[in-house]
Amino acid sequence: MCGTNIAKIVDVEAVAKYVSGIPDVVLAKTYKYMCSNPGQEMIIQDIKEHHLNRIVVAACSPNMHERTFRNALRSAGLNQYLFEMANIREQCSWVHKDPEEATEKAKALVYAAICRVTFHEELESMSVNMCPNVLVVGGGIAGMTAALELADAGNNVHLVEKNNHLGGNLARVDLTAPYLYSARDLLTEKITRIMNHKQVHVYFESKLSELTGFIGNFKATIQMLNGKPGKINNPVEVEIGNVIVCTGFKEFDASRIVHYGYGKLPNVITSFELEKMIRTGRIETRDGKIPKYVAIIHCVGSRSQEFHTYCSRVCCMTALKYAHEIKSANPESYISDIYIDMHAFGKGHEDFYLRSSEAKTLFLMYEKGDRPVIHKASPKDNCEMLIEVNEKLSGELIEIPADLVILMVGMEAREDSHEIARIVNISQDKDGWFIESHPKLEPVATTTDGIFIAGTCVAPKDIPDSVAQARAAAARILARISKGKIEVDALYSEVLDDKCSGCRFCNQLCPYSAIVFDEEKKHSYIISALCKGCGVCVAACPSAAIRGRHFTDQQVLAQVDGLFCENG
Amino acid sequence: MAIRVNPTFIDELDRFGAEDVQLCYQCGDCSTVCPHADDVYKFPRKSMRSLQMGLEQKIETTLEPWLCYYCGQCSTQCPREADPGETMMSLRRWLISRYDFTGIARKFFKSRLTEVLAIVIVALFTGAFLVYYGLSGGSIDIYDGEGAFLPSQFIHRFDLSIGSILLIFLLANAIHMWYLVMVKGTNFFVPWWLYIKEFFQLPWHFFTQKRYSECEKKQEHPVFMPWIIHLGLMLGYVTMLVLVMVFIEQLQSGPDIRWSVHIFGYLATIGLVTGTLYFIRSRLKKSYVQYKKSHGTDWVFVVLLFIIVLTGILQHIFHRTGLNELANITYVVHLMGVVPWLLRMPFSKWSHLIYRPLAMYFAEIRREALTRQEEIIQSVPVLIK
Repeated sequence: MCGTNIAKIVDVEAVAKYVSGIPDVVLAKTYKYMCSNPGQEMIIQDIKEHHLNRIVVAACSPNMHERTFRNALRSAGLNQYLFEMANIREQCSWVHKDPEEATEKAKALVYAAICRVTFHEELESMSVNMCPNVLVVGGGIAGMTAALELADAGNNVHLVEKNNHLGGNLARVDLTAPYLYSARDLLTEKITRIMNHKQVHVYFESKLSELTGFIGNFKATIQMLNGKPGKINNPVEVEIGNVIVCTGFKEFDASRIVHYGYGKLPNVITSFELEKMIRTGRIETRDGKIPKYVAIIHCVGSRSQEFHTYCSRVCCMTALKYAHEIKSANPESYISDIYIDMHAFGKGHEDFYLRSSEAKTLFLMYEKGDRPVIHKASPKDNCEMLIEVNEKLSGELIEIPADLVILMVGMEAREDSHEIARIVNISQDKDGWFIESHPKLEPVATTTDGIFIAGTCVAPKDIPDSVAQARAAAARILARISKGKIEVDALYSEVLDDKCSGCRFCNQLCPYSAIVFDEEKKHSYIISALCKGCGVCVAACPSAAIRGRHFTDQQVLAQVDGLFCENG
Repeated sequence: MAIRVNPTFIDELDRFGAEDVQLCYQCGDCSTVCPHADDVYKFPRKSMRSLQMGLEQKIETTLEPWLCYYCGQCSTQCPREADPGETMMSLRRWLISRYDFTGIARKFFKSRLTEVLAIVIVALFTGAFLVYYGLSGGSIDIYDGEGAFLPSQFIHRFDLSIGSILLIFLLANAIHMWYLVMVKGTNFFVPWWLYIKEFFQLPWHFFTQKRYSECEKKQEHPVFMPWIIHLGLMLGYVTMLVLVMVFIEQLQSGPDIRWSVHIFGYLATIGLVTGTLYFIRSRLKKSYVQYKKSHGTDWVFVVLLFIIVLTGILQHIFHRTGLNELANITYVVHLMGVVPWLLRMPFSKWSHLIYRPLAMYFAEIRREALTRQEEIIQSVPVLIK
């Protein structure tokens, strides 16, 4: 009944009465909340008392409570797969207004479920061994954090880094917003520990070139990039159980926006070029003069229709950090901060914004899509450049004097990220970021078991978020390692060897790379640990040689028949 | 044409008292609570923005700062503590220095030392001149009539000459204000007869300060208190100015008291004393928002006024009780305060006496001209298409 959720539209008593008249049905009961403890207890009691061997619950969506009722079956000593749910809430009572028709539909749905459950088989989930070694791709802050977390727990970690040093993008930064910790301090400790850690094996100037196997039992091939002549450059093969991908981001190419004249005007620089200046200790124009007017332009490449629609998240606070650093270095400088919206979302960010206001940073707002234009100034203007923009808060068309313009370049997926995605078999969104298995509840897992993602290769994020993700991924892996084995869902597909013609049609279709061709026997087989039971191969197989467990043709057709038959 | 932003302007206005304007993030709460802001004159939000961005050409032609009477509601309401009320005040100070073509006002506002020094020098000069004149032509024992230390005819001529200097400066500044607001800052047509039609605004606002009273409605002040006190102070000041400029001979005359003149003198004194004491007390206690911050020039203003009022009363008492010598000395001290006070007026906050009614007058003219223009545009929409 689900309280009144179902009962106010569907006449549940009528449905129960109808159902009890169907052959093979031993018992049909209604209850106020079947998912509650007394409700489950009732099911368990009935199974034991009446020796029931198939159970149908007509209630909400299986997404909600299938697991609850399967557990009830298990407690009663019955195989959990001998169960079917008829969804008469989301697909019936919530979407219909006429009680009579809704009751008829509920009857049909329940009848269909009964027809299906007759053909259910007892299935057992299986378990596979878990290799405790882990591969971490990318040696930035996320990769290093994850590697240390895993190695400290006593596992071997293979850390693959493309460059000849660790630190990633963070190594290009001076201070970090909003607490102005030195990035070098954050990194040095981690790098030293990694280099001295016996259980972390770092591969510099290398890349992951191949990954085979499945969760708990991967084989990874690590290859040196541009092997130097005279040196032996053999690919290394390692056995691992899980992979964390932390390949990070690359910055947007500012010269793509012609308005800003990056590359043409000498004193228009990107945020990373300014970081370099700050680290050398002198913020100056190309002619070596101290800039009196500094302008910072936000959202370069981000939040626009032409380039990237997303927000790069870190630039607003980084811009405030620059305002602070420039003002500290040259107190005579005036800083104009030209932004679309000030995103001060994180801990300490709003206070940092307030402090920047107090330091007299001039905040100028422009409309998304109505970008500022940078002109070269004439000698009488007393400055290098003039930035013309429609200022939103005053409603005026203004020009801002500037000697140095800093472009806050956004984050982009790396151009080689599709290569990684292909090797470890994960998917990318339209912008090239790796897709998590659930954006809210599974932020570091991917749709491929055993492959985790963390840091800015998933989406733009700041350091605390990257570190949190890295540690989350490490925690997920450690939990599996400590178990030693991993349960694999019984819902997978299997190839019937005698029917398979070896056409390999399914091999390419499988979205999880779970189907492999056996060259000796000349037919395909499915690695059950990788298979998610999506059914693509079942539908595609021209010889009907693949069977989806728990979704056999017989079961599905019986359900369809039950739904549409006249007496139902 | 794009307007040039001047990022350094905010630092300059700091000296005029706008210390917190950089904190403003343009939420507009201030304009919502302001009893005076409307569709045409959007302040303090817009004024704050112009100031932050340093749009000097815009600010020098606006009337908004003069339309604000600093009730302080905006500052109480401001979520960023950017103090819009004080910002409007500092914009008034800046505008006074902008209208003033001599650049003296600017110096006074930016440096308290310069101002105090200038006042002391003028006071000493006045004192020296008066003592020299008194000793050369009369006796310190005689207050009035033959052989008087400072004969009333002489003081009359002296007052008039100081008054005309004052008037010349004030007029020049007022004309400058008219040029900035009505010519440079008005990009629409203003018919000449509107100046005549709206002329009544000038005396009306000058003598009633009606807009100030409107500030009080939403406040927790004792009923209309600052408005009444301010009105009393202002009327007292103007009455006294008229008495001194026109009726000095009757004021200074012998033991026969002409009540028709003196009753005004006493009333004006009451207004001045109450007002001065009230404002000094409020500034010391910082009782209301508008008295929380006192610019250097504000203190010079109330303290100097207090000295003048005090010596004026003392001189009157000594004169009436026949202590002629003491009366003459306090008279000199009194004038040593009055002369710098009067000469300072065009360059100080006191000049708002002129600018405020003028602003109200111009504002109404502009408003009416704008409505007329809109009506014309609406009546011939085809032309625009």
